[in-house]
Order: sequence, then C-alpha cells, then structure tokens
Amino acid sequence: MSKESQLRALVNQKLIEMGERERLKELLRARLIECGWKDQLKAHCKDVIREKDSEHVTVEDLVAEITPKGRALVPDSVKKELLQRIRAFLAQHATL
Amino acid sequence: MKMEAMSLSGLDNTKLEALAHDIYSDLVEDACLGLCFEVHRAVKQGYFFLDETDQDSMKDFEIVDQPGVDIFGQVYNQWKNKECVCPNCSRSIAASRFAPHLEKCLGMGRNSSRIANRRIASSNNMSKSESDQEDNDDINDNDWSYGSEKKGEDNQTCPNPNSPRRSKSLKHKNGELNFCRLAYNYNSGISYETLGPEELRSLLTTQCGVISEHTKKMCTRSLRCPQHTDEQRRTVRVFLPGPSASTLPDVDAVVESDGYDVSDGQALMNRLQWDGSSDISPSDSASSKASTNNSDSKKPKKKKKPSLGLSSSGTGGTGGGTGGGPGTAGSGSSSQGVLSLPSRKKKPKLPAPPTPSIYDDMN
Repeated sequence: MSKESQLRALVNQKLIEMGERERLKELLRARLIECGWKDQLKAHCKDVIREKDSEHVTVEDLVAEITPKGRALVPDSVKKELLQRIRAFLAQHATL
Repeated sequence: MKMEAMSLSGLDNTKLEALAHDIYSDLVEDACLGLCFEVHRAVKQGYFFLDETDQDSMKDFEIVDQPGVDIFGQVYNQWKNKECVCPNCSRSIAASRFAPHLEKCLGMGRNSSRIANRRIASSNNMSKSESDQEDNDDINDNDWSYGSEKKGEDNQTCPNPNSPRRSKSLKHKNGELNFCRLAYNYNSGISYETLGPEELRSLLTTQCGVISEHTKKMCTRSLRCPQHTDEQRRTVRVFLPGPSASTLPDVDAVVESDGYDVSDGQALMNRLQWDGSSDISPSDSASSKASTNNSDSKKPKKKKKPSLGLSSSGTGGTGGGTGGGPGTAGSGSSSQGVLSLPSRKKKPKLPAPPTPSIYDDMN
C-alpha cells in the first residue's frame, strides 16, 4: 500500500497499456539471440537435462537451473540498451 | 483513490533507477522462462537431441579451427603458386594468369581480336604509302584523305577502306598519325616548327591549325572546330607559311560554290569528302582562282555577306586565274596547295571583310 508500490503498479500498467512492454520484450529477445545468449543457455540446458533423467525433467527444474545463469549471461551492452529505453519511457511519462 | 496526483517526478533518482532495474529484471526473467518452456517442450516431444544422434557425421562436419585453413578445412590460396604449362607456347604460366594468357596465345577471345585490329590499323597507317589516285577516287564513301592530292609527299595516310572504323574521328586520326614522325603530341596538337612547307600546307587545309597560346601547338581539330574562330585560323595561315598558304576553305565561298562546275565539283567531292554529309554543296572551292573563274557567271545565287568577298575575290581571282591557266588546271594546281572543302549551304557567321585580305594574299 506504500506509495512506491502503488507507483510501480501504475508504471507497469502504463507500460502494458501503451504496448511498450511488448516492444521491450521483443527487443530484448532479438538482442539476446544476436549475441548468442540463447545458444549458450540452450547448451547449458542440454547438460542439465543429460545429468538429470531426461524423461522426467520438469519445468520447475529447468527454471531453477537456468534462470540464475541466464541473468548472469546477459551481455552488458544489451542491459544498457534496455535500461536506457526504460528510463526514456519513464521520463517521457513522468506525469501519470 | 485518485491516482492522477501521483507523479514520477516526485521520486528521486535512485528510486527511479531502482524502478528501471526492476522492470528490466522482469523482462529478463520473462525471456528465460520463455526459453525454459521451449526446451522443456522439445525434450518432452523428443526433438531436443535430434541433431546429436549421428556421431560419425558430427565428426565430419566439425568446425575446423586451424591456421591457414577456413572453418571447412579448405585451403584458401591453394592454387596461387601452381604453374601450368601452356600447350601453345610451352611456357610455364601462373595459374591465375593462365586463362588470359591462353586467350592471347591462341588468338581467340574478344580482347585479342581487338588488339589485333588495332595493330593492323596502326601499322596500315604508318607503313602504307600513298596509293594510286584511282584508288582514292574509287573509294567514294571513304573518309576524306587530304593526302591524296599531294605529290611528292611520302608516308601519306591512306585510310584503310576496309578499316572498321570509318568515321569522322578517323579522319583526324589519319592526319595526326601522318605527322607522328614529327614532334607530335597526340593530345594537344602539332608543333609547327617541325613541319615542312608542304606538310604545313596540307595540315592547314585539313585541320584547324590554330596555334595554342600555352603549348605553341597547332590545333588538330577539324576546320570547323568550335574552339577556334575563323579569324584565328586565318591568322595562322597568314602567319605561318607565307602568302602561298592555304586559304581557309570556309563558307565565305559558299556563293561561288553554287556556280562551280559540277564535274569539277564531283571530282573534288570524290577526292575530298567533307564529313560525307548530304548537304554538301558540290562545288565549293576556297581557291579563289578556280572558283571565281567559273562562278563569276553564276554569281547571284546566294547573296549575303559573301557578296562582298565575292567581288573582291572576283577581281583577285580573275587575275590569278589567267595567270594560272584554264580553270581546271588552276583548280588542280591550286587545290594542291589549297585543299578546298565543299562547304555547307548553311549561312555561316563569318565576317566578310577579312575575306578579301586572304585572297589578296593569295595573289
């Protein structure tokens, strides 16, 4: 109920409503594929799956293994670009 | 609860940054989740490990990472150093130069025929001496060869009747090539100091001849070249060889041309063709002696400025004509020194006054 959380909710709502979130998602996906992040992570998946029983692997297992690594593997340039876009959006829509 | 009152500007920078980072993390997590779902589905459907089933072919197509070789394992400049023996001339040629060499060696292919033609054309021009006059007469559609009238001049350029390049440009080329033994600069012109009087005269009757200020060379363009005026051309003709110089075969004499004998004109035409254009009046002759003799009777054909010149040249011409003998002989001899060109029937913008001076000089 804090103002901050309210603000966040508002911002998110704005993002979605204006379609900016989708655009950002697409942009991120494209950049990650370009830089090879996806292939890296997929290879990691293969190892994980081979270790575990490939028949009984679950989504939760994968998520637990992949997400921390994925977050770490994102290159700096991509991160910077996205942050820049987000800040621009926030600045543009300062008054909600 | 009214939300409009809220504003991001109320937040300070750190909070804004934190907000941005949060949004970013959400996005990255979404991406990771997407990948997990994709992989999980692939595993469950059984196509995740499909590309790893055949170990042998995997080894065959493995990426090569050695120096001097590309990722397929091929050497890039393998054929650079190889040499082949030409079957024609039995020489050892580098592989990359083999195809062009073969083209020239065997005499086939586009380039070699072009080169051969060029060589023939140039050697013809250089070495072929002046052929009989009959030949030139017969070659009706040939380019005008100013040298055909010359006597005692060797190394005349006779344009090859079979040359594939019959054109106006060839005419100039002939003229230029003719003097190639002399101090000759292809681009700018001819140096007049090295020319003998006959050559000079012949040059002046075919080419512009105006001496350029900077290079001291004569202009080798046509007599109607747009870079120089007729004034300049007259000046050159006065200045260089003296009174016996060729007169400008310019259109001032167009008047006389009409009255000129057809037979003479035809003969002249055959020998000295000016651009082969159809509007050539068949009888113009810059030679006042010849033309005025015959054209006096037919004066009133074209009457503009040329009338001035005509009258004066008439007086001068008759005087010269009688001295020169009968008209044809006069035309013959005069044309030797004074190659006249059948001029056009178009009205030229020539100043009439200077004309008398030239004719005066002739006498």
